[in-house]
Amino acid sequence: MSSGEPAAVSIPIHDHHGKAPATSSAVPAAAAAAPAAAPAVAPRKVGIPFFRRGDHHRGSRCLAFLDFILRIAAFGPALAAAISTGTSDETLSVFTEFYQFRARFDDFPAFLFFLVANAIVAGYLVLSLPFSAVLVIRPQTIGLRLLLLVCDMIMAAMLTAAASAAAAIVDLAHNGNLRANWVAICMQFHGFCQRTSGSVVASFLTVVILMFLVILAACSIRKR
Amino acid sequence: MEAGEEIEDGEPSTPTYKAHHHPPHLPPPMRSSGVSLVLSVADLVLRFVAIGGTAGSAIAMATTSETLPFAAPFVRFRAEYSDLPTLMFFVVASSVVCAYLVLSLPASVVHVVRPGARSSRAILAFLDTVMLALLTASASAAAAIVYLAHRGSARANWLGICQQFTSFCQRITASLVGSFAAAVVLVALVFLSALSLARRA
Repeated sequence: MSSGEPAAVSIPIHDHHGKAPATSSAVPAAAAAAPAAAPAVAPRKVGIPFFRRGDHHRGSRCLAFLDFILRIAAFGPALAAAISTGTSDETLSVFTEFYQFRARFDDFPAFLFFLVANAIVAGYLVLSLPFSAVLVIRPQTIGLRLLLLVCDMIMAAMLTAAASAAAAIVDLAHNGNLRANWVAICMQFHGFCQRTSGSVVASFLTVVILMFLVILAACSIRKR
Repeated sequence: MEAGEEIEDGEPSTPTYKAHHHPPHLPPPMRSSGVSLVLSVADLVLRFVAIGGTAGSAIAMATTSETLPFAAPFVRFRAEYSDLPTLMFFVVASSVVCAYLVLSLPASVVHVVRPGARSSRAILAFLDTVMLALLTASASAAAAIVYLAHRGSARANWLGICQQFTSFCQRITASLVGSFAAAVVLVALVFLSALSLARRA
């Protein structure tokens, strides 16, 4: 039996060298990708394509796959933070003599910077997904790993700066400042405050995931 | 002679495997070539510059205290950095980064003398990155507050306090500049460490 023929039944995978039950998952993909994935190993293989047992790059492939998954995970909070800040616009129904009754994100330049930075990071994460996928298929391209590492670090630093500036404003909006006679506007603008606070939290989550991505890339470059 | 080689997962150890962990004495010092010496000395010099930047900005912010000569009915007539919690965080973070940089000076000197110390370079690079993140966060938060102090916010009815407290405002703005310069220097330090680590690989 050779692993090249597609099997009609799915057989549990056993670790028998020499007896090769056919792979049970993604057989057409395996047949198509087998020439690319396993250049010079024994013709009898078991396991999921790209993660076969005799593959020399298996550790790097696992790390690259984790990198891919983490990128998708980081994209969610970044996009959510950007959208939630961008749609924060609250108009009060009360009308007082001294207070403005409308709050939007572009009243505060820190929130504007925060929105732009989150949008940039979300866009970058989407655009770097194909590069990460290439790294799963060909784990030996170190130049691409280095490029992704440097770009991830730049994005993490920018997002840290934006998130901390927005956090300073949000803290001021929640607590006010007695000494500077700054009133806590969260008392009036509940929805605006909740939205922006939530998006700051999501943005910090993205920062944590990005830092983890940087450490992962550094470790996988070092493993070479 | 190469530094100790890592063993890849799944590869058997060969007879030419060099011990990664030496006996307790330090490995024999390698001849430092010109480029690695320049990198280590540049690292040391940049550390001094960053110490100056962070110390200056922390001290400038912490010694702010302005009292207005008159008392206006609705505005307080004394301004300090501790009135704003974000500026307090900025002073604390700058001091932490300054203390770390001072404590890392001996390690940097060791790297000039013995260029073969790889793991301590890696640890220093990692800690530099952590301090860079802390400094960036504190400097951006303080920048947001300083911007508010200058311009105020018409929507939130927050008055810009710089109209009254001019010297307080000038001080906190200047200390922010020093902090951002120190952040740039830290970026250069991380880059230098990465370069020296990559040269040995």
